[in-house]
Amino acid sequence: MAGRKRSFWIRRIVRTLVTAFGVSLVAFLILHLTPGDPAKIMLGPYASEAAYEAIRERYHLNEPLPLQYLYWISGVFRGDLGDSIRYNRPVLELIKDRIGPTLALMGSALFISITLGIFLGIVAAIKRNTPIDYFATFQAVFWLSIPPFWLGILFLYIFGLQLRWVPIGGMVGFTSLIFPALTIGLRDEAWFARPMRAEMLEVLNQDYIKAVKAKGLKYSSVIVKHALRNALIPMITMIALRLPWVIGGSVVVEVVFSWGGLGSFLVSSVLARDYPVVQAILLLIAMLVVVANLVADLLYSVIDPRIRKES
Amino acid sequence: MAKILEIRDLKLSFETEEGTVEALDGVYLDVEEGHFHGLIGETGCGKSITGLTVIGLLDNNARIERGEVLFRGKDLLKFTERQFQREIRGKEVAMVFQDPASSLDPVFSIKDQMLEAVRLNKKEEKQSNERIVKELLNKVKLPDVESLLEKYPHQLSGGMKQRVMIAMMLGRNPSMLIADEPTTALDVSIQAQFLRVLMDLKNTTNLTVLYITHNLAVLTEICDEVSVMYAGRIVETASIGDVFNNPSHPYTRKLVNSILRADSTLDSLEEIPGSVPRLINPPPGCRFHPRCEEAVDECSRVIPPVKEIGTNHLVACLRR
Ligand SMILES: Nc1ncnc2c1ncn2[C@@H]1O[C@H](COP(=O)(O)OP(=O)(O)O)[C@@H](O)[C@H]1O
Ligand code: SF4
Ligand SMILES: [Mg+2]
Repeated sequence: MAGRKRSFWIRRIVRTLVTAFGVSLVAFLILHLTPGDPAKIMLGPYASEAAYEAIRERYHLNEPLPLQYLYWISGVFRGDLGDSIRYNRPVLELIKDRIGPTLALMGSALFISITLGIFLGIVAAIKRNTPIDYFATFQAVFWLSIPPFWLGILFLYIFGLQLRWVPIGGMVGFTSLIFPALTIGLRDEAWFARPMRAEMLEVLNQDYIKAVKAKGLKYSSVIVKHALRNALIPMITMIALRLPWVIGGSVVVEVVFSWGGLGSFLVSSVLARDYPVVQAILLLIAMLVVVANLVADLLYSVIDPRIRKES
Repeated sequence: MAKILEIRDLKLSFETEEGTVEALDGVYLDVEEGHFHGLIGETGCGKSITGLTVIGLLDNNARIERGEVLFRGKDLLKFTERQFQREIRGKEVAMVFQDPASSLDPVFSIKDQMLEAVRLNKKEEKQSNERIVKELLNKVKLPDVESLLEKYPHQLSGGMKQRVMIAMMLGRNPSMLIADEPTTALDVSIQAQFLRVLMDLKNTTNLTVLYITHNLAVLTEICDEVSVMYAGRIVETASIGDVFNNPSHPYTRKLVNSILRADSTLDSLEEIPGSVPRLINPPPGCRFHPRCEEAVDECSRVIPPVKEIGTNHLVACLRR
């Protein structure tokens, strides 16, 4: 059994590495997929020939592509992500300055969406076909049908401009975090609440729920201990699969709320054709998703004994 | 002999999208304390519903229209959910379900699930709770209890799971166990082993068992009395001997005959011509009349009352 378990993890980790290689390749090729001379793309058409040559030298643009990739990726491992063309500073430093706000935003958004989504899913399942259930459905459809940038603008208008409860964009302490986080979180909450309700209903229909009731267990314990634990297992994948959307959402929302994180930095770097930065951020995002999927699998094996003991 | 359970004229229906399912229509059932009472009938005749009523676990769309379900003289139909949970389930009445594969929570170890039941009893220290759990598992003849405790349900065979279920349900020392087709999902050899565990309980404890099955042969091995159910009514109740030697209701006779004819397959109920009627708009009068060879005109109009035709021998047929 231990052998099978080990080989499962070896296969899983190999798969993660292959995926990681693939995404790093994509991030690298971004610059080369754009037609034209990469040096001109980065510096624009009006730089001096010396400047072009310098950038070709710096990024090994005269070498064949595979070699360029090797230079780039070995740099990544050494912590050298290149220099920002716009700021003329190491990309790593720039990212370090901005990753905190982004993680705070995504973390709060995920926290809101997971807790609220799971809570509403449970309540809707327990109170199915009652007004509470209908309300849960209604709010989910509501949040899902509003585009995030529009919801963000709406929040800014109402709570920033009209009511003046929060600053209008920027990062001024905790209050300015609330609405960007809600803008992403509510949408993802809607995304989680429906499947959670379905999972709960499915679990509540199982014989083992009847059996634990037959033992005489309190209803609240039946729900919290047995039903919830079982219903949460499939939700782990749901949440991991949703992560790219959370990231995508935070890019848009960071721009709307002038949130000084990686998302808005990515957008401005794309516009400024600051390719080293774009490549680095894309690589970071892709790695985050890859790692999250690995963590989801790990979590599975911790929560679900059927996986823990067998595969 | 004291009756532990008396069901009187229980009428129960389900509201569904297709209409009202008249699942139980005037069920009478008396169970003596310490006896093993069999409840037999074809699939869909209302056996599980009868059991679930006693333990208060009916689906939400169930509606009780009339009757009484007296447990030690107290009418369970008047109990709230909270009363069921505090006073009945596990403590007085426990239940084992048909499919052992899905009756144990897949994400908790056997030990956790057993302890959960035992802890509901009274606050005792961990040490003695674990001792009680081991004793219970020994009682149902499960081998290698120490390693079993650390296992998860998917690591056990169906027969072992079903014995764990029994042990778990006995964890609070209930007076009555409802066993809802506990061996239907098991292999024949495993069935015998399971029945031996029950026989042993019968000989060593005062446990009352309501044994639900659609297999008459199983009942002969362990039951004192048998009630025969047809389409939501009990049509005959008698001692196990009377059911075989002196069956009275036409349906019971067919059951017994089909078993005697096909002595190899004991799963014989399918051999009676016709099928159980749907319980949305069931046949009027005696619900068996479309399939009954003895039926007369009256049978499609009059609901047969329950008559006592011998000591502890009840039958509901207009021609008896
Ligand atoms: N929740 C429900 N809603 C509607 N009909 C139900 C429900 N539960 C059971 N029934 C119906 O009640 C009848 C009796 O069911 P049951 O007691 O499970 O039969 P069995 O004798 O096979 O155990 C069946 O016709 C079944 O379809
Ligand atoms: S009442 Fe009539 S139909 Fe019903 S079992 Fe008796 S004889 Fe048959
Ligand atoms: Mg049944």
